[in-house]
Amino acid sequence: MSKKVGIPRALIYYKFATMWETFFTQLGATVVVSPETTKNVREVAIEIAPDEDCYSTKILHGHIMDLKDKVDYLFVPRFGSKHKTDMGCPKFIGLADVLRSLYPDLPKLIAPHYNVAKYGHTKFDFFKEVLKVGFVFTKNPFRIIKAMRKALKADKEYKKKLIIDIDTLHLWEQSAILLNIPPDEIKDEKTLKIALVGHTYVINDSFCSLDIRKKLQSYGADVITSEQMPRELIDEQLDKLENRLYFEFEREILGTIMYFLENGGVDGIIHLMIFSCGPDSLAGELANRFALKKQDIPLLQLVLDDLTAEAGMKTRIEAFVDMLRWRKEKHATHIPTLRVS
Amino acid sequence: MPLTFPHFGSLKYVFVSLFHELGRYDLVIPNKPSKKTFQLGSRYSPEFVCTPFKLTLGTFIESLDRGADELGMGGGHGYCRFRFYWQVQKIILEDLGYDCSWIRIDYESTRDIIQVMKSISVGCNTLQTIRAFQIGWVKNRLTDLTDQLLFKYRAIETEKGSSKRIANEAFKLIVSTRKMSKIRKLQKTIPKMFAENVEVDKKANPLKVVVNGEIYVVLEPALNLDIYKRLNELGVITKTPVTLRRFIDIGQRLNPFKKMDFQIANSYGVKYVPYRVGGETQENLGDAVLYKKKGWNGLVHLYPFTCMPEIIARSIFPQVSRETDMPVLSLVVDEHTGEAGFQTRLEAFVDLLESKREEMLKKRKTKIASH
Repeated sequence: MSKKVGIPRALIYYKFATMWETFFTQLGATVVVSPETTKNVREVAIEIAPDEDCYSTKILHGHIMDLKDKVDYLFVPRFGSKHKTDMGCPKFIGLADVLRSLYPDLPKLIAPHYNVAKYGHTKFDFFKEVLKVGFVFTKNPFRIIKAMRKALKADKEYKKKLIIDIDTLHLWEQSAILLNIPPDEIKDEKTLKIALVGHTYVINDSFCSLDIRKKLQSYGADVITSEQMPRELIDEQLDKLENRLYFEFEREILGTIMYFLENGGVDGIIHLMIFSCGPDSLAGELANRFALKKQDIPLLQLVLDDLTAEAGMKTRIEAFVDMLRWRKEKHATHIPTLRVS
Repeated sequence: MPLTFPHFGSLKYVFVSLFHELGRYDLVIPNKPSKKTFQLGSRYSPEFVCTPFKLTLGTFIESLDRGADELGMGGGHGYCRFRFYWQVQKIILEDLGYDCSWIRIDYESTRDIIQVMKSISVGCNTLQTIRAFQIGWVKNRLTDLTDQLLFKYRAIETEKGSSKRIANEAFKLIVSTRKMSKIRKLQKTIPKMFAENVEVDKKANPLKVVVNGEIYVVLEPALNLDIYKRLNELGVITKTPVTLRRFIDIGQRLNPFKKMDFQIANSYGVKYVPYRVGGETQENLGDAVLYKKKGWNGLVHLYPFTCMPEIIARSIFPQVSRETDMPVLSLVVDEHTGEAGFQTRLEAFVDLLESKREEMLKKRKTKIASH
């Protein structure tokens, strides 16, 4: 019987889902990913998780509870960083230890540690960690190497598919193409272009983000998310700050906002923040101040937490979209277009 | 260009003498933060940023109003958002219409500290800068010593306020002494000053409680509501192992025969958190084990609201407390912390420790009697 490894569908799972799933399947393990977040998961999470953790981390505790009786191993990696200065969140490194301390009856935790920025880990260290994880499932090192290669390749392909290139972005900005297939009922309407910015694990978690992606689409908006943005543009924008923004996942968020504020190209930006997220608090403030200085692109910042009411958020999003539509029409009629004869 | 820095407990004196040593006498020494500082800071700060951000921003605004225009702050890159503070504060202050330049020090890299200090000094060469830096860290040892003595003597003094007076004298002495040989002698003079001038209640049998947590909260009395004084007034000896010397005391860090407090604590803490997660997480967890071994009665863990690394420590502390039988009180501090609630919790904690000690003594007595 193959060993079952459980992966909670929360936090950096959304970033590395393909990589991890490919790796464990190649090793012959059965991968059990916890189901999508539901109200039930959230209620469990809020009850047992530490009070001061951020909303997303709390949700993870719910997923762990969901998985713990179904699997032999839990995969909760201590992800530090993969860049020489940029860090993940300190909570990701301490997560496995917190879980082990809070719930002693958990199945065995697989928690490899990888941190380039502070521990100076090299590719060889990464390889050693992979071997350590692999030997839990198989004794054949070549099988592990093969699985690692396949996993890295799958991750590369996934990223290639996800992240659009600069040309596509420019085409999209000029309304020449759509990034998402619009629902049938609103095909004829003029589409709005909205940048949806936030952590990967917020945007892709339809319960936590109140299904904002679908909602925006049904209002006739084509959405670009921060994870789709070309990395070169983000780095270029963030070089304008004097201190390097050293939070890896926050970089794409602030970079996207800064890019669209500078270049236009979208009708509005929606920034999903998580309550008591450390990096979000600083980047959100910066985004807010940059947006105030450049008022032609409206920015809506929504703070999500366990007390967020869906109706209130829905109203705000609807109002924002209506405002964007109104602005667009007004601009279209009042500002004469340049004619080159 | 007058220079200023955030108010940082008794480290203020170290910073002042360090800048004096570098030839900078144009200092705006920050005032002790008050309620108004908190209000100023939190008015212009992001909503759920950690409290040190708000307090330092408030202090900066007050200092800028008093004429400073060069601000010193930590920079670089690290685990928590402290190193990114200055970037956000800079933009906030610019929006408020202040014109100021920033000195940012990556305090984990000695090379960077010396380079930055050389660049702000008045005509110091590298050797002189290193010498000034050395005076800085030696003086930091002295301020730590003074604090430690104060937290000890204040609990058992018979005349209220006498140890605080001596401590203030000692701080003055630390700032005014310039010569290295004389500074080194202070290491013996200061304990003597306390021993001679403070009358202590020799019959007292005080409890001992160690205070640790996030460095800024632990060292800044305005933020931790002067927890040491409160504990001392309850008749408890306190101490904090948290110190900035961890980063700046190069002399002791290079000494192969001596281990610094944080290194010892770390060796106990790795059992619970094997890898560094920033802040003082591992050290704080290790302290509980270490100070239990040393025979201390309890531990108070302080951290600011939404502090990322300390939340990890806070989540694991129940386990450590259970395993080592060390009572731990975790207190979260922010600008809304009420004094009365804080005091009540400390009193309850001290009562608990007292009853625990009595129970232990009773057990021991019955054990001896049964033998």
